[in-house]
Amino acid sequence: MTTEAKPLPIVEVLDLRKKYGAIQALKGISFSIGKGEIVGFLGPNGAGKSTTLRILSGLIPADSGEAKVCGVDLAEEEGEVRRHIGYLAENNPLPEDLRVVEYLDFRAKLKGLGGSRKRERIRIVLDICDLERKVSERKIGNLSKGFRQRVGIADSLLAEPRLVILDEPTIGLDPRQSAITRKMMERLRGEVSFLLSSHILSEVEACCDRMIILSHGQIVAEGTLLDLQKEFINSTVFEIVAFGNRIELQRVIRKIDETCELIQDDPVEVTGKRRFTFATEKGSDVAESILKQLLEVDQFRVSEFQITRPDLETIFLRATKKNWEDQDFLGRNKKRPKIVGEKNK
Amino acid sequence: MREYLVILRAELFGLFISPATYVASFYFLSLLAIGFRFFIESFATTDWILPPLASLVTGLVFGAPALIPFLTMRSFAEERRLGTLETLMSAPVGSLSLVLGKWSASYLFFLLICGCAFCFPLLLLLMFPDQGETLGFTNFEQWIGGWLFLMAFGASFSAVGIFASSVTRNQMVAGMLSFTLLTLYLAIMAFSLGDTSPTESIDHFSDFWDASLGSFGNGLHKLQHFAVGLIDVGTIFHQLILGFFFLSLATLQIERLNH
Repeated sequence: MTTEAKPLPIVEVLDLRKKYGAIQALKGISFSIGKGEIVGFLGPNGAGKSTTLRILSGLIPADSGEAKVCGVDLAEEEGEVRRHIGYLAENNPLPEDLRVVEYLDFRAKLKGLGGSRKRERIRIVLDICDLERKVSERKIGNLSKGFRQRVGIADSLLAEPRLVILDEPTIGLDPRQSAITRKMMERLRGEVSFLLSSHILSEVEACCDRMIILSHGQIVAEGTLLDLQKEFINSTVFEIVAFGNRIELQRVIRKIDETCELIQDDPVEVTGKRRFTFATEKGSDVAESILKQLLEVDQFRVSEFQITRPDLETIFLRATKKNWEDQDFLGRNKKRPKIVGEKNK
Repeated sequence: MREYLVILRAELFGLFISPATYVASFYFLSLLAIGFRFFIESFATTDWILPPLASLVTGLVFGAPALIPFLTMRSFAEERRLGTLETLMSAPVGSLSLVLGKWSASYLFFLLICGCAFCFPLLLLLMFPDQGETLGFTNFEQWIGGWLFLMAFGASFSAVGIFASSVTRNQMVAGMLSFTLLTLYLAIMAFSLGDTSPTESIDHFSDFWDASLGSFGNGLHKLQHFAVGLIDVGTIFHQLILGFFFLSLATLQIERLNH
């Protein structure tokens, strides 16, 4: 019997904790990232995403726990770890008065590149990030947001890192610029591991192999989109576009299926109608019965009905909802008021 | 070492392309030139006991609180305001290399300006050799002494400026803080606090305090020695300690920002 050696993960995080004053930003998270994987790091604002990324890039230390990048412990050899990492900070701060090539030249030298290798790497990253010669000669302060973002990404790729950490890389970019960023990641898929934090869920859904959802400093979900669909929405999801309020609608639906749950309620532009997303554990037949029942009630005037697969947004809301309800604004577990007559456990 | 040199080169480049540096240097050197000219003209009628070259050194030291902030205020305050300090720290570069690189750049630029100021007596000597000789510009030891005095004080002054820049995001605040600290330091030295006489034995804390304060406080008086070519190692040592102290504070501040 032969045992195949398992490749070493690029990132290994074990029980990572970080506290800012009274706020517990990370409450012992653990995860790993394999070679060449593109992992989406999701979570609401204040979930601890940027803190985790900053710890992994060696900018801030963790209070406890273990983080290894390329097998090197961050706590012991921070400088060595930084050599394996490319980091694009949130808002991508860049010096305004340098030209793109001057900046990349400075960064390459800082990362230990020199001579012909430095020139070669600058040429390659300019090509990967689609920064043609005309742009590379311009001052960074005169560039548009999209080009600045590409300069930041080019910098993160300079020293042939094995892990690239991108904190909100497409924030404020137009769809074309976002597509270029995605294309760049696609081009490097398999060679470089990416850890990507973003609020644009459709984008994460489109380009990431795996997602990690964080809420209040804890990982609330992890896996591929298919895994998450199975884990969180193990039921039939259907959308209804109709008039009326959700309480009334739910009352009618619950007459047929008591387990049916409202997941989302969004307004539909101009029409005054609303798009309600429900999930039922009783399958598509019950969904059809619900439709028939709703069509009989005039006040709803149902105009659309569709059985759908839950998207990442639905999963995200579902995964973070419970955790969100259980925490106070400092990230501590809310104390549940004791019910009169409740027995002590 | 490599990171230090990269930072140093980038900072020097930044100083050379900044219009503010040129404007500050131009005004500083112009005022110094005017002052030097008046001093040379009235030298014969004054009871100034030091060689004329020492007046230039004095002018540079007392003018430093106005010049040093222009050279140092941008270094960390601007990086913090733009957020580029985080980008810089994401590369394999330590806080110490960063602080030393930025300090060395401003220090070298200060020495460059001092070098330009030393061109005034040099030009005078080349153009009017007889008058230059009368004024003592041919005494090589006076040049060396004056230059070493400026090197020692420049090191500590630029360290103060770097520290001031590391504690705020606002360049103006950094500049004003640097100006205030340097003026205060010069005032302490000018008012000669403490006792400069060497102490045989230090029995009480007050004796130790008096002697330490005296050594620092009378730093400017040592110019008399430097001006005639007598190198006072103690003064150089004190300035290096002061520079080391402020650079350590700046490094700690940068480390603190990352936590």
